[in-house]
Amino acid sequence: MSVETPSDDWLLRVEDLSVHFHTPRGVVQAVDHITFEVRPKETLALVGETGCGKSVTARSIMKLVPEPPGEYASGSILLRSPSTGAVIDMLTAPMDQVRATRGDRIAMIFQDPGKALNPSLTIGRQLAEVFGEHRARMLLTQAGIDPDHAPVGSGAIASQRAGVIRRNFFHLTHPGQSRALRAAVDDAVINALSDTGIPNPRKVMSSYPHELSGGMKQRVMIAQALACDPDLLIADEPTTALDVTIQARILDLINDLQQRRGTAILYITHDLSLVRQFADRLAVMYAGRMVESGPALEVLKAPQHPYTQGLLAAIPRAGTPRGQLAAIAGSVPQLVDPPPQCHFSSRCGWSAEVCTTHVPHLIGLPGERKVACLRFEQASSIGVEEAEMPLRAAHVEVGP
Amino acid sequence: MTSAPTSSPAGQTGKTTLRTRASSVRWARRREVLREVMRNPLTVVGFVIIALFLLMALMAPLLTEANQPDPYQSPRDWGNIDVPPGVEGHVLGTDSTGGDVLYGIIWGSRLSLQLSLTVVISTLVIGTIVGSVAAMRGGRVDNFLMRVVDVFLAIPELIFALAIAAVLGPSFRNIILALAVVFWVKYARIIRGEIIRVKQTDYVAAAHVVGDSNWNIYRKDVLPNAVTPLVVQATLDMGNVVLIGAALSYIGLAQAGLTEWGAMVSAGQSGILAGQWWVSTFAGVAILLWALAFNLVGDGLRDALDPKTEGR
Amino acid sequence: MQVRQYLIRRLALLPLIMLGVSIIVFTLTRFTGSPVGIYATPNMTPVEVAALEERYRLDEPIPVQYAYWLGGLLRGDLGWSGVSVAPVTDVIGLKLTATLELAIFAALVAIIGGIALGTIAGVRRNKAPDHAARFFSILGASTPTFWFGLLLLIPFYLWLDWFPLGRSTPEIFDTIAHPTGLYTVDAVIGLNPSAIWDSIRHIILPAVVLGFGSMAIIVRMMRSSMVETMSEEYVDAARAKGLPEKLVVKRHARRNALVPTATVIGLSFGFLLQGAVAVELIFRWPGLGQWVTSAILSGDQATIMAYVLITSLIFMLVNLTVDIAYAYLDRRVVLGS
Repeated sequence: MSVETPSDDWLLRVEDLSVHFHTPRGVVQAVDHITFEVRPKETLALVGETGCGKSVTARSIMKLVPEPPGEYASGSILLRSPSTGAVIDMLTAPMDQVRATRGDRIAMIFQDPGKALNPSLTIGRQLAEVFGEHRARMLLTQAGIDPDHAPVGSGAIASQRAGVIRRNFFHLTHPGQSRALRAAVDDAVINALSDTGIPNPRKVMSSYPHELSGGMKQRVMIAQALACDPDLLIADEPTTALDVTIQARILDLINDLQQRRGTAILYITHDLSLVRQFADRLAVMYAGRMVESGPALEVLKAPQHPYTQGLLAAIPRAGTPRGQLAAIAGSVPQLVDPPPQCHFSSRCGWSAEVCTTHVPHLIGLPGERKVACLRFEQASSIGVEEAEMPLRAAHVEVGP
Repeated sequence: MTSAPTSSPAGQTGKTTLRTRASSVRWARRREVLREVMRNPLTVVGFVIIALFLLMALMAPLLTEANQPDPYQSPRDWGNIDVPPGVEGHVLGTDSTGGDVLYGIIWGSRLSLQLSLTVVISTLVIGTIVGSVAAMRGGRVDNFLMRVVDVFLAIPELIFALAIAAVLGPSFRNIILALAVVFWVKYARIIRGEIIRVKQTDYVAAAHVVGDSNWNIYRKDVLPNAVTPLVVQATLDMGNVVLIGAALSYIGLAQAGLTEWGAMVSAGQSGILAGQWWVSTFAGVAILLWALAFNLVGDGLRDALDPKTEGR
Repeated sequence: MQVRQYLIRRLALLPLIMLGVSIIVFTLTRFTGSPVGIYATPNMTPVEVAALEERYRLDEPIPVQYAYWLGGLLRGDLGWSGVSVAPVTDVIGLKLTATLELAIFAALVAIIGGIALGTIAGVRRNKAPDHAARFFSILGASTPTFWFGLLLLIPFYLWLDWFPLGRSTPEIFDTIAHPTGLYTVDAVIGLNPSAIWDSIRHIILPAVVLGFGSMAIIVRMMRSSMVETMSEEYVDAARAKGLPEKLVVKRHARRNALVPTATVIGLSFGFLLQGAVAVELIFRWPGLGQWVTSAILSGDQATIMAYVLITSLIFMLVNLTVDIAYAYLDRRVVLGS
């Protein structure tokens, strides 16, 4: 397997994870034996094109992959508590433990905030759910109710938010306590909302998602995710669905919150400019496998894997002669019962006989870098700036 | 595929190619759809049941000895009344006038076929014409026709048919007529909705640009694509019409003694108290199987044709 | 805002449509031999009959006749019911409440059962409960209501004698006051246990039979709606918040799945009205359905016409209510495109 020396101080370790999907056409190996870790307070970017398995990886971390048709075929996902050092394996732990970490120690924001918010509930209600689930005791105490003898459960706490017909009769039987509880919930929600720079949080609290703009909805999602101060925030393509002008603001917001709260962030993205600006470390995935990882700026400056090199060469930059866009020829292979070889070999300018007969594994390089390529020594001697035609690049004619 | 001559040769070629491609794509899709439909075992069951009923209806004079003068009246056999099933050659028993239940079922299938085909085909035609006129003309014509449709739809189907049949007098023919009057609105609405939807698509806009006549566009672009929901609805209605028709006969809006399944259920119900369950039960099962078969096929068609559930 | 505009438009359309219905009903009455039959009582002398013909202008052209007929209608003159031996307006109220009570109970059966089964089927998609629910729903949509009623009568009434026919036992029925006209409700209001039990005993079987078909339709709609909702991203997002699965299904998936189901529920009321005809006949339930079937057998036109008018009105009002509820529930809905 890989040469791995785990760091002493880690927050999340994904070890040898494989995720398969059972489809009518066969078993798709969406994620194939990947290993990486996230350290406290750092920002790791998981990069790759659509379909490389990065989203599946992200969802696996919270065990969100639906289990038929999905299957966690191998590996473990270890979560470590920074305070106690206790470790649990998300894939084998009992579900109520897994659910306890969701939203509390690990949180996720989704690509399209318009789709990730329930259209029939107010913002306040949706945020209150998180508090009700994970901070019930705190809220009850704040409201002056003894948490050990509370006449109301976490579901009812979320119901305390106005705007929907309340189904529990708590507000009839204990009107004073109900009011206090509602105030406590409101406070928590308003604080969470204003922390993300939302003006007029009271109004937003009683609004429905479709009444808000895209940028606002994303802020709400961020507020919801960070409500319980998680150790790790997973951001699945947080800017893809937003206007360019809003993207920068949202990313700055996330960065700012990270500085203030010390959250670790796992960015799932294909936006390399985001990586360049915010990521500490970077991991590149291709066709379900991890092909390269290391400190972000180092990898971007001198990529070792031909795929990474191709990605970077494909970015249009000022000064490229007009009429030529470099793209990587070929397409991602089908991952149904794939042959044991390097998945990139058919498109790689450096591929050799050995690449079609062996699966490359991650090899450790100096400077905490890793690469999974059988011929990286040949490929890596050239930096990106100097790369001219080492790839079988397809030139797309642009212009008249 | 030829098309009407237009001004520019380029336009003609373009349109022909587009149309030819579109139509061959459509035929390929239809084969594919049929295959998809057949993949669902329940739908196949539905087809089998329909085939059996069809056979039964068409071969009725061969299967049984037709009663004279009116084969659709149960033959009276006063020596053999209220015979339970399986006795003396009466596989399903006899009713209180000695009429063989199996005879009733077989000849009743002919009536069901007659009822459903007549109603569905005529309402399909009428509804399509009215709906098309409304959608193609638009404006006040459309408005007026749609108000009429609204009025018809305000009266629940069975109740409307009941009133019409009651006013015209109890007879099977009147039931057919009543149902035809009631059912056409559904198709008008469907085709109107489809035409309006298709009118807004790009390929129709392209046809306009190339200068094609309204009638041609309607015939070749609009109609073939609007056909799908009509087919599904027509299939389902083949079952529904018989269900409602049976209910009307049950209430008493058909002639006495008719070998219609609903009327048979009604005729047999007084015998139930005395323990003679077979007349009503078997007749009811026949109705159920007929409706079930068409529902299964209609559902299967709908699932296969719905882009969201395609290739699940 | 938009909701109000939509409502106003719908409310404005209602009288127009009812007018159209009245035209249809009127046309039907002219198909019969003697239009005066609607108003004539059996004991009338020829002089009185002639006076009626004069009053309703039955010798004038059709449009005039319509105007007078409509005028009579709006004044509350719906004609004479031969089967009830009374003016239609005297009797229709009683019949209406009886049918409404039955329809409401049937609707409860259909809605509660339908939503529950549909949810289970949608959540456990393509597994055993799903297949069972789908089979049940197709079966329900194909079963003739009148036959189903007979089928259930045999064991429950003939053999076991658990459920009696009719609406009530007259001795018990007469002991309570009837403020609403709904036996069950009145029994509860009057706090009369034997009346409550009596009313329930009588209504259960017909309500189940009547609701069966509608339940099938609701199950299928709810199932497909749930399948769609369960694959939405916000359901996953709710799980990512750490919410227990039951809550996710209930509060996130089902709440949104109910929206399209609401329209189906409204439509199913139409089925209930229609099915009531046969069910009332079989179970000797003294409602509109039984009333009109007797009218058919004796050629009582006034009753038939009044029946068509009142059921259409109810049907339209129910649809309107459902549309309002739908517009309120789905806030993103673009009203009345």
